[in-house]
Amino acid sequence: MEDEENSTHQDQDQALQKKHQLMLERLSARHQTRLETRKPDSPESSATSAFLSRFNDSKKSIDAQLESASDPSRLVDISFTISDLEKLVAENSYLLPSYEIRSSLKTISDLKQSLDNLSSQLIPKKKFSFKNKPTKTQTQTQIPKSDDTVSLPEKTTTNYLFRDSPGLRNKQNQVLVQNFKGSDIGEFTVSDLDSCEVKLVGCVNSLFVNRLKNCKIYAGPVVGSILMEEVEDCVFVLASHQIRIHFAKRSDFYLRVRSRPIIEDSDGLRFAPYCLKYEGIGKDLAAAGLDEETGNWANVDDFKWLRAVQSPNWSVLPEEERVGAVDLLLRAVQSPNWSVLLEEEERLRAVDLADSG
Amino acid sequence: MGLLSIIRKIKKKEKEMRILMVGLDNSGKTTIVLKINGEDTSVISPTLGFNIKTITYQKYTLNIWDVGGQRTIRSYWRNYFEQTDGLVWVVDSSDLRRLDDCKMELDNLLKEERLSGASLLIFANKQDIKGALTPAEIAKVLNLDAMDRTRHWEIVGCSAYTGEGLLEGFDWMVQDIASRIYMLD
Repeated sequence: MEDEENSTHQDQDQALQKKHQLMLERLSARHQTRLETRKPDSPESSATSAFLSRFNDSKKSIDAQLESASDPSRLVDISFTISDLEKLVAENSYLLPSYEIRSSLKTISDLKQSLDNLSSQLIPKKKFSFKNKPTKTQTQTQIPKSDDTVSLPEKTTTNYLFRDSPGLRNKQNQVLVQNFKGSDIGEFTVSDLDSCEVKLVGCVNSLFVNRLKNCKIYAGPVVGSILMEEVEDCVFVLASHQIRIHFAKRSDFYLRVRSRPIIEDSDGLRFAPYCLKYEGIGKDLAAAGLDEETGNWANVDDFKWLRAVQSPNWSVLPEEERVGAVDLLLRAVQSPNWSVLLEEEERLRAVDLADSG
Repeated sequence: MGLLSIIRKIKKKEKEMRILMVGLDNSGKTTIVLKINGEDTSVISPTLGFNIKTITYQKYTLNIWDVGGQRTIRSYWRNYFEQTDGLVWVVDSSDLRRLDDCKMELDNLLKEERLSGASLLIFANKQDIKGALTPAEIAKVLNLDAMDRTRHWEIVGCSAYTGEGLLEGFDWMVQDIASRIYMLD
């Protein structure tokens, strides 16, 4: 078309034709250079196919480098090339179909894997090597190694980090009392108790309950949440914002909760409304936003029973079997267990001091 | 070029980001989402299933998927991985006993290929509770420094109860995602 047009104009305007010709040449030259010098960081110029061809070229060259590399010092260069490739994908990610992105990322992770394998072949493992066996397969020698290195320091670091969080632990056949009034305890733990009676007076932010057998736990309001695991044959009288009960068996719960209580992996649980009394509990409940009965004690969600019909794992405790009001007469502290309690309180105070110090 | 510019325009107009919130049960995921959206946080039941919240944050639209963390439903997390731009991992900093669980679940998540491109924000929640570990201590326990170097991550201490730190965390994440996806701006 254009040629014909040009030829018709040829006689009339030689100069114009020449100009046009030059322009066409310029355009095609520009197009050519654009194709050749397409830069990875100018997304305007790269369509998906152009990206893919660049990507594949780059991948091939990395593959070749990986195959030919025999000198460890080359590994760094290869690693940089892979990062560049990754960058290319990231920069183009906004216009690529998600399939291409995923497959490109997969390719990159494969490349990294081969680089890792190569580097473990080329660079002798000084720090961790086992002398008795030459490397048969990479994975076999690495598994025991990583297990050792991961598990051991892991424990030491967590032990180091674990402050002795305030709590009542490892007791049998005792009456234990903790008063949160005036203390600045935030989270409190009750764990590993057998046949104990625990009285928690005042507000606390969060309560953790673990591994109890045949215990009675009476607690003032918990402002945040209660998290409970592994309890058996217990009675709980609790008030809180949220409560989560896991791995519980044959236990009764007298609850006041602002949200729906949940149970998971539990059975034989019975629920009734909160019934605790002690001097000043009204104030504490109000402070925790728990002064009104919500009726949620009966709205239990069982995560192991996601159906419309009632879960077989819990029921409402029949009224005639409920304990009535429980009054924590703190004077009862002056019992034969008094010395034990003092000890416990001393210990807690010491923990407190250590915490604040 | 015509099609490309259309695609670019659509992307620019939408400015949508998909955020996945996960973490152990009782870590405060739902409370964080409601708090940042300015809603009442005083009556929140443990999440049975998931919640989706669409909120406008700066000039972006965030689709936040808040998925329940109870043990039974953790196996369903995988159903929400697709096309996640930002991953928020929420930690109860006062739950010292389950830090190992927390680390294990996070490690599993980070192995997931479909999440490999997502920015990772770790919220060390419940900083208002006395006795909670600091973000630095949480980072140490979770061994975050050993993470794959290509991952964009950040740990931020926060309290969903007071709201402290929440904006700081979301600011980082939104900026990070924007710089990856909307490079043209």
